[in-house]
Amino acid sequence: MGRRVRHERTHRPSPRSRALALTVVDVTFALLAAGALVVLTTIAGLVFRRRQGRARTVDSVEAVDPALLGAESLGPEATLVQFSTEICSRCPGVRRVLTQIADARDGVSYIDVDLTHRPDLAQHFRVLQTPTTLVLDRRGVIRTRFGGTLERAAVESELTRLQKEPTRA
Amino acid sequence: MPDTSRIDARGPRFAASITAVLLLVATVLSLIGISTQRGAYGWFAYQPLADATFRPDGWAVQQLPLLDRVADPGFVVVLVIALLFVWGVTSPRTAPWGVLYRRVVQPRLAPPTEFEDPRPPRFAQGVGLFVTAAGLLLHLAGVPWALPIAAAMAFVAAFLNAVFGLCLGCQLYLVLQRAGLIGRRGPAAV
Repeated sequence: MGRRVRHERTHRPSPRSRALALTVVDVTFALLAAGALVVLTTIAGLVFRRRQGRARTVDSVEAVDPALLGAESLGPEATLVQFSTEICSRCPGVRRVLTQIADARDGVSYIDVDLTHRPDLAQHFRVLQTPTTLVLDRRGVIRTRFGGTLERAAVESELTRLQKEPTRA
Repeated sequence: MPDTSRIDARGPRFAASITAVLLLVATVLSLIGISTQRGAYGWFAYQPLADATFRPDGWAVQQLPLLDRVADPGFVVVLVIALLFVWGVTSPRTAPWGVLYRRVVQPRLAPPTEFEDPRPPRFAQGVGLFVTAAGLLLHLAGVPWALPIAAAMAFVAAFLNAVFGLCLGCQLYLVLQRAGLIGRRGPAAV
């Protein structure tokens, strides 16, 4: 092997130094790529975290049938519907917040829907992540949608707004 | 309300931090390994074994014998990580980072305030296993860049979990389910 390398060296003057130089380039490239990976992932995480818990106003006319959600009735003034799965690390926290809010308000009820074995419901309500929370008004129409974790204050202000709305025919 | 079926939520994030560091190392090693090398350059051109099949423009990973693909440092590290994922899926209670957390880290921290279901992190370990195993198999089959890309994808998931508490594997669950790949189809009894 040693002899062979020496032999090649006499024919091509610098293959080894060329290989070495390329290795240095490779290592530099790999480290830069790894650094870029860390930076981009951090940015993605920050963007994701910022988008979490934002209230999105929904323009829907469909009145949700409580039976579809496995509930007997909706809240007389508003309903909080949370979609969860068994595989959802942040659902229990949201569940705690929402049940507390619903308990503290008259006329607001809370429904938890487990989508683990219900892809049909996930399809119907276009749920792409859990937890997803819908706020329904007194007619059962979806008014607001929260993707992911949510802030208590944002839910409270949505409910206050809905509860203040005049009853329509 | 800590009952026995729930785990300290900080445990999986601790494990994800170690996994993320390992995966970043694996990404770097597989980038400088044979996976991304063109045939004309690199150390393998001087290997006597490679001489017979040496093509100047091919990918190194396609030209080298299987043994050299296995001996690639990036491959070895990703293989170790994949085996740890297997451990995490089959026996989460005895998986090394979990044990390390409970024995060494947890006693030094304040008592846990947040508990979580052990199923989501376990599912996420399965997703990690799938991604790394795919990278390993494609690498063995001679697909260039498969190893660093798989390691980088798994790194993104582990890093987001460790730093932001975001479980990408869990997010995938609903997407996979809606695509009909996992879970039972149709309405089940409530």
